[in-house]
Amino acid sequence: MSVNTWLATGNFNTTYRQEQKTFVTSLDRSIFTLFLLTLFAWPVFFPISQKYMLVVDNILVAIVAVMGLNLLLGFAGLISIGHAAFIGIGAYTVASFSRTLGDSHVIVTHFWPVLILLAGFMGALFGAIVGLPALRLKHLYLAIATLSFQMIFQWVINFMSFFNQGQTIYVGRVFWFTGEIGRNQHYMFWYYIILTLVVLMGFGVRNLLKTRYGRSLVAVRDNDRAADAMGMNPGLTKVYAFALAGFFAGVAGALHAYLYRGIGFESFTLHQSVGYLAMAIVGGLGTLNGSFWGPVAIKYLDIQMEHLAEFAGHYMVQASNLSTALKPLSFGLVIVLFLMFEPRGIANWWRIAKSYTKLWPFRY
Amino acid sequence: MSYFFQIVVSGIVVGSIYALAALGLVLVYKSSRVANFAHGQIIAAGAFITFFLTVRVGVPIFLAFLASMIITFFLAMSVERIFLRRLIGEPIISVIMVTIGLASIIDGLIYLTPFGSENFSFPAFLPEDSLSLGGVSISWTQLVGLMITTLLIGAFSWFFKKSTVGISMRAVSDDQFGAMSVGISVPRVFGLAWATAGLSAAAAGCIIGNITGLNFETLHAFGIVVFPVVILGGLDSILGAVVAGIIMGLIQQFAGGYLDGNFGLHGTGNVMPYIILLIILLFKPHGLFGIHEIERV
Amino acid sequence: MKSKKALLFNTLLVFAVVFAFTLPAQAGGKAYKMGLSLAITGPTSDAGNPYAKGAEDWFKYVNDTKMLGEDTIDCTIKDDQYENDTTKRFFEQFVDDGIVLFLSYATGANLALKRDFEEIQIPVVPASYHEGLIVDAKYTFMPVATYSENIVGLAEYVVENHKDGGVPKVAFFIHPSAFGRGPLEDTQKAVAAGLKMEIVEVVEHGKDLDNSAMLQRLISKGVQYVLCHSVQSPVATMLTDAQRLGLAAKTFGEKGKLTFLGAHYTGGNDLIALAGAATEGFFWACSYNLTSENNEGAKKQLDLAKKYGRDDKAANSHNYGAGILAAQIATEAVKMAKAAKLEVNRENLYKMLNDMKFDSFVAAGPVTLSKTERIGVDVLNIYVAEGGKFKKIKSVESEFIKKVRAGR
Repeated sequence: MSVNTWLATGNFNTTYRQEQKTFVTSLDRSIFTLFLLTLFAWPVFFPISQKYMLVVDNILVAIVAVMGLNLLLGFAGLISIGHAAFIGIGAYTVASFSRTLGDSHVIVTHFWPVLILLAGFMGALFGAIVGLPALRLKHLYLAIATLSFQMIFQWVINFMSFFNQGQTIYVGRVFWFTGEIGRNQHYMFWYYIILTLVVLMGFGVRNLLKTRYGRSLVAVRDNDRAADAMGMNPGLTKVYAFALAGFFAGVAGALHAYLYRGIGFESFTLHQSVGYLAMAIVGGLGTLNGSFWGPVAIKYLDIQMEHLAEFAGHYMVQASNLSTALKPLSFGLVIVLFLMFEPRGIANWWRIAKSYTKLWPFRY
Repeated sequence: MSYFFQIVVSGIVVGSIYALAALGLVLVYKSSRVANFAHGQIIAAGAFITFFLTVRVGVPIFLAFLASMIITFFLAMSVERIFLRRLIGEPIISVIMVTIGLASIIDGLIYLTPFGSENFSFPAFLPEDSLSLGGVSISWTQLVGLMITTLLIGAFSWFFKKSTVGISMRAVSDDQFGAMSVGISVPRVFGLAWATAGLSAAAAGCIIGNITGLNFETLHAFGIVVFPVVILGGLDSILGAVVAGIIMGLIQQFAGGYLDGNFGLHGTGNVMPYIILLIILLFKPHGLFGIHEIERV
Repeated sequence: MKSKKALLFNTLLVFAVVFAFTLPAQAGGKAYKMGLSLAITGPTSDAGNPYAKGAEDWFKYVNDTKMLGEDTIDCTIKDDQYENDTTKRFFEQFVDDGIVLFLSYATGANLALKRDFEEIQIPVVPASYHEGLIVDAKYTFMPVATYSENIVGLAEYVVENHKDGGVPKVAFFIHPSAFGRGPLEDTQKAVAAGLKMEIVEVVEHGKDLDNSAMLQRLISKGVQYVLCHSVQSPVATMLTDAQRLGLAAKTFGEKGKLTFLGAHYTGGNDLIALAGAATEGFFWACSYNLTSENNEGAKKQLDLAKKYGRDDKAANSHNYGAGILAAQIATEAVKMAKAAKLEVNRENLYKMLNDMKFDSFVAAGPVTLSKTERIGVDVLNIYVAEGGKFKKIKSVESEFIKKVRAGR
């Protein structure tokens, strides 16, 4: 790339190092840094209500989960209809500590970063196990195998008294260097923690995709036999993709457990799995920023539909059915419309917007 | 011993109802390679249309049954026309997700009606006692269900083997480009596949609705319940659906009959099909009767 | 393709603009805020839907008839679709809005939020009557007898009315979840505490299409009574199977046949709607007064439904009554606080709820709450299905549940 980006006629690299760079220009880097700073600083300057902080936290947790799903589905091309179950594995890892040691044991409340990491590894382990059928199964058959895992997970949690038969297992309030995190700081505290994790994991994914491990995922997605011929091991790659997705899901699960201060099996059902799939698709498969757009869009839609339903309910009292039917209706419509008209998801709009501003005032 | 036979008979009867419910999935997959996650919703819709026609409009139940089959026939056809035709050639995940989105839309539409959150049952039109043979009993509803299943599956098998349209559907499932080159309209075949699937879904909905009563949650759950059945049978085999349906019915009944209450286990009938499915898939990745596709680079 | 994309984008934009409007709250007197989060759609919506209508109508009635003078109750009703995470979000919003009392719904959501209730010290009236909700919980006030109380009460009824001598043999037919298993465990404790019955088998149902084998097995084991704790649909399937096999008892405790009994969520008009004639002879424990009783209370419930234009199905549902009762308890607490010239806030409502006694036209008995007793209506009506209606046979109060609770 030429030294002066304004004179460049296109993107071209002269060394491999240049291609590996995360930020093409220093302007990019500064904009990104500024953006990150804003993300970290805004809650201090514009405090919002607990409810909206919970919504924001919830979106961030979903982002962690969807990043994993996107790696699996978007990059490795493997369909998983059991993502919520992997998230559940992470959450129940925390839960089993809480259950055996007591919910305010020092390990649960002080060593939570360790538990979150551990939950990630548990997720990865189960991901790898569930990924084993991927050695032989493909496409729809694989999708149904993950569906089976989802069902078996639900049954096990519901059945075992160690997991309180799926009823809530509480997790105590955590401690930071400043002491116990009380109710008023809870959502704010977790905002920072989860945001930090999202940034770290985002960079992780970004960099992974530039290594052979990331590229082998894409190669296997595009044609696993061709990848085999090129010396990759498609079977192993698939299992490893599942483990990777499981890791993200496990971390998300542990975060969910701490954020909601309790784990109940209703948060990890097939319905939720479908929700994560929708987020990944609406965001844009096979892109990193799609993992951020999807959860934001779907959760935003959810909340706005509630508002609309209430709005309608006030004027048409008899039509309470109408207002409540809006949520599933809009959820389905959004998925279908995106797939029909914008299969590359919101990430594509972002790409268009970016290239438009880059070249402004000139057009292609 | 009669307990054992009762389990066998119940398993076969329940299994054949599964087969009927699974038939729609197979029909769609067979021609267009789409797994329909909205099938449960179509099953529920079929049952509700029949109910609406008999109870609210006053059509005799058998006519209503036929009418609802015809209505879902066109309903499913239009669903294919509106939503799925644009997705021909898209990756499989897109198509799966469209049907999931579709399921959600139909959910929303059904919640607009009283059927979404109220309970109903069909008026009784069959004798309420059961046929009994040496301690083994079977209800009239189940018997009629069994008959309709056999009839429909027989009809479909004949249709695919002998009729011109059926043969063209098979041709499309075999090779789309090849089919097109000999003058078969592929989109029309897809539409027809969905339509016949809708028809069989309505039949399944009526039979299940007659057994469980009309509750939306219960009915649409069958769309997911039958997935192990189709996968086990191989997604594109009608015979596979029948055999797998009966196997699953038997597994469920035997798990419930012999496992539950022993070894401290409960509710194994729900989870056993999935476990067996996973095990079988490890050895036969394309199900029992599925076609093993040869992939080329 | 391009124009379609633009269309999609524009549609989304229009939606976004529409949503930007929010509704201003109405003025006049003081408005006490409350929140109700429940499943109007999704799982269990067959119960949640009429429940929401009942609560809504009662609060409207309170405001319309000026029961609290110039003051009104402003209760926001939200549909959480039976998702705990959504309920939590609604709860946080309600708390932000400054509600004085929370009307909740599902067992799972209540358990998940139990800690928050205690921390914020907000009184809660749930729609789930799960025993676990009032264990170690200061702020949860159960409107009526718990599921466990229902089942143990029915078990006592079985023991009392069992004629053939010997210990009655009972099977359990339960939902495959903690919801189903809780009452079973409490009954087992009651048996251990001296209730003279034998639990022969426990069946956890699935999505069964045929229960013939299960029913025959129960008969061959000598079971005479089946206690059900689940939702209506699976019970309906089982009852139809039992009827066609000729295994359903015509009278209570008929020898060689099965008598079916069930708790709150197994019965009601929904069961009759699902199982039709097979419901005949089903015994059902419920703490609500049914409209089929045709008494003073039933008339009031129907009048209320008529006033607000509800259809027959909602008006006659016991869940509509349940919604009314929860709203009545909330209203009563406000009324008492006002009478005592106290500010209507969380602490004072909590105090009022700690010593409350009133009669409700929807309940089977008086609502009594005290410091030690967190269950409003302790009386159970035992109904039996007869001629397409549930008819009351007697009112009971469970004795053994006290022993079970004491052992906790």
